Amino acid sequence: MEQFFFWSLAVGLMAAATAVVTLRNPVTNAVCLVVALVLQAALFVTLEATFLAAVQVIVYAGAVMVLFLFVIMLLDVKAEARRPVPWPKVAAVVAGLAVVIAGVPKLVAAFPAAREPLRWSDGTTPFGAKELGTLLFTSYAPLFLATGVLLLVATIGVVVLCRRDPGT
Amino acid sequence: MIAYAPYLILLLPLFAAVAIRLFLHPFPRIAVPVSVAACLGSFLGSMMLLSSGTPPGGMAAPAIPWIELAGLKAGFGLVADPLARLMAALVTGVALLVQIYSLGYLAKDPCRSRFFAELSLFVFSMLGIVFADNLVTMFIFWELVGLSSYLLIGFWHERPAAGAAANKAFLVNRIGDFGFILGILGAWSLFGTISFADLPSRAASGAPFWAVTAVGLGLLCGCLGKSAQLPLHVWLPDSMEGPTPVSSLLHAATMVVAGVYMLIRVLPILELSAVTMNTIAWIGALMTLLPALIACQQNDIKRILAYSTLSEIAYMVMAVGLNIPGPAMYHLVTHAFFKCLLFLAAGSAIHGCHDEQDIWKMGGLRKRMPFTFLVTWIGTLALAAIPPVSGFWSKDAIFAATWDRPGLAACSMLAGFFTSFFMLRMILVAFDGKPRTEEAKHAHEGPPVMVVPMLILAVLSVLSGIFPVAEFLGMKPDHPHHSWTLWLSLILAVAGFVPAHFLYADAVKDPIQIRILQAKFYVDEFYQRALVATQDGLGRLADAFEGWVVRGFVVRGSGVLARSAGQGLRLVQCGQVQLYAAVFILGALGIITWLLWKGAA
Amino acid sequence: MMFGEITLGHYLALSGLLFLVGLVGVLLRRSLLIVMMSLELLLNAANLALVAAARFQKIPDPQVAVFFVITVAAAEVAVGLAILVAIFRLKKTTSAEDFATLKF
Repeated sequence: MEQFFFWSLAVGLMAAATAVVTLRNPVTNAVCLVVALVLQAALFVTLEATFLAAVQVIVYAGAVMVLFLFVIMLLDVKAEARRPVPWPKVAAVVAGLAVVIAGVPKLVAAFPAAREPLRWSDGTTPFGAKELGTLLFTSYAPLFLATGVLLLVATIGVVVLCRRDPGT
Repeated sequence: MIAYAPYLILLLPLFAAVAIRLFLHPFPRIAVPVSVAACLGSFLGSMMLLSSGTPPGGMAAPAIPWIELAGLKAGFGLVADPLARLMAALVTGVALLVQIYSLGYLAKDPCRSRFFAELSLFVFSMLGIVFADNLVTMFIFWELVGLSSYLLIGFWHERPAAGAAANKAFLVNRIGDFGFILGILGAWSLFGTISFADLPSRAASGAPFWAVTAVGLGLLCGCLGKSAQLPLHVWLPDSMEGPTPVSSLLHAATMVVAGVYMLIRVLPILELSAVTMNTIAWIGALMTLLPALIACQQNDIKRILAYSTLSEIAYMVMAVGLNIPGPAMYHLVTHAFFKCLLFLAAGSAIHGCHDEQDIWKMGGLRKRMPFTFLVTWIGTLALAAIPPVSGFWSKDAIFAATWDRPGLAACSMLAGFFTSFFMLRMILVAFDGKPRTEEAKHAHEGPPVMVVPMLILAVLSVLSGIFPVAEFLGMKPDHPHHSWTLWLSLILAVAGFVPAHFLYADAVKDPIQIRILQAKFYVDEFYQRALVATQDGLGRLADAFEGWVVRGFVVRGSGVLARSAGQGLRLVQCGQVQLYAAVFILGALGIITWLLWKGAA
Repeated sequence: MMFGEITLGHYLALSGLLFLVGLVGVLLRRSLLIVMMSLELLLNAANLALVAAARFQKIPDPQVAVFFVITVAAAEVAVGLAILVAIFRLKKTTSAEDFATLKF
């Protein structure tokens, strides 16, 4: 059962991601990205990280993609024109593929834990909000606070950047 | 005391030269007698040395240590063996006679103090060569003699021809000296010594044949330069630009024979290689014939005598090549007397005709300068080797040694034929017939100071054949005496007079004109061309180097390099963010790959 | 091996491929908006790898990291899009080729 979910979700994710990168209409791209993010959240669930799956859907698929769509609407971005296939770039992509395919077995061989199979009824308790929250507010408290500051700064930055000059 | 005699004899003329040059220059009336007196002193010292036996302390004067390195010890020493004493007496004696003659010849010359100073310097240098006991000391004086020759040839330095001749003499000598130095160094590295006394014993030790030959040929180069033999003979005829006393002293009697003297000193080395000896003999033989041919077509009285000098020295060189140093020295002595006499007589004729040197512009001097005419004839007989005059005995001694070498015999005997020919030509044209110019009509003999030395030399030319030079030096040749050499050479010598008489008696201009002889076989032109070609070639090479390497490669090249590097690097800044990102990713990928592989290993 | 039990390797492979796709998008698309979307894909690939590590190594810390990544990604998208809007107002274009003012 684990296999079924993993494979279907994996194929779907790859398809959505490829669609994001190749299609020309920006709205289509955005929608495909939403699909990809949701499938990613499902993958999180298969990995028994339910809290993170929820966070992913709410923040990423919910807020970030809405932002993207708003901007698309604002800028009235048109579809890109067709272009001839850039073969050198294709070659580069293939090279990257080769590296990934070759590299993963090495990585796997380095970690004995990597050969453990995935089973959903392990008997171990998955990490929930309680565990994550404890860690956030104790071990990683400084980082948490810094992230808060970062969000504040980002907000202010966005407001400043999008201000029209006086007199325009 | 007598052990120090060589030093005294050597240094007396030097003192005179320095004194004149520094102090007495403006006072010729004092300077000139000082120089003559110094020469007289040296002459008396040499005669004393010559007549005394071996001094108790051996024949070498105490040496002054000079170079003392590991492997080389060169002291500054003088030796007074019979060879040196004979040469010293000869040099000082002839120098004294020439200085007395110059009192008359240069009586009106404003620069005569300088002349006598330079003559004294020359006597000092030449005595240095004579008394030197090792090759390095000899080389120092060798160069000094070259300097004296340069100064004296160019004595009348307002004349551009004189300056050019002096330069030519010095430069050609320098070329010979280069070979000489190589020979000295080679001798020293091969035999470990450069002292003449040690040479006979050390030379016998085994050394590779080619090395010994090379050393011998190197030393020969020094002789070729100084004694003006092939191919470095070109400076001697030009040296006639100097005053006649200079020509007679340096370039007939003493300096030019320094080469022969040196060869005799290093004979133990030369003997070791038959190739060297053969080379020397053949160079000598060729040089007897070729200048004799050239002299048949020369019109300047001094040049005729110069070419005959070349020929006579070649006899001595050939004698060294035949390993008969005794007859070589014998001929050296007799030649010094009669050649000096001939030059002084020629000077007298020139002086009488008011500095005219072309024989075709003289004529009829027989009646006007009878004494000069007589001594010229005596000199000619000696030169042509007619018995019983001295020249005959010495030349015959050399001919005798060619009994088994037909090539050498042919060259040298033919040279005798032509020698007689051109000497009679000279006499007939200059002295016989009618005077061809106004000056010749008013010619008269010189003052007694010029006549007396000529007289003394004439007597010596006749009688010096009696002095047994070879025995005195302990160098008697030991080969069988075949009389056919004597008769053949004598016949050829006398026969040479005959065509000259028919062609030149009562001649107003030269009936035969042989271009190649007049042009001295074009040797000078050949050298000129070769020099110019070499310099041009080198100049072109340097120019190409400068153009390509320095200007092109280094100067422009570095500029081009900098600019193309800049152009290349500029392409990296394209402004396209995605390109930057791509390069970034590639680098990261590279590092990851490397880490993975390294980790897996 | 690939079609047997799901292991950490599978998840890592998937993460790698996802990353590759995102990379292609970042480097090769001309429209800056699409580039930013591909950037999100990159971040998601990283998140996937982290969560997989957390599950298989049984430690909660990678999940905390993912938390932070999502937060920072959101902030980064906001600011990035703000910049994009500002540029668009200036140049009236979002094509990457038109922003080569740093060219020498």
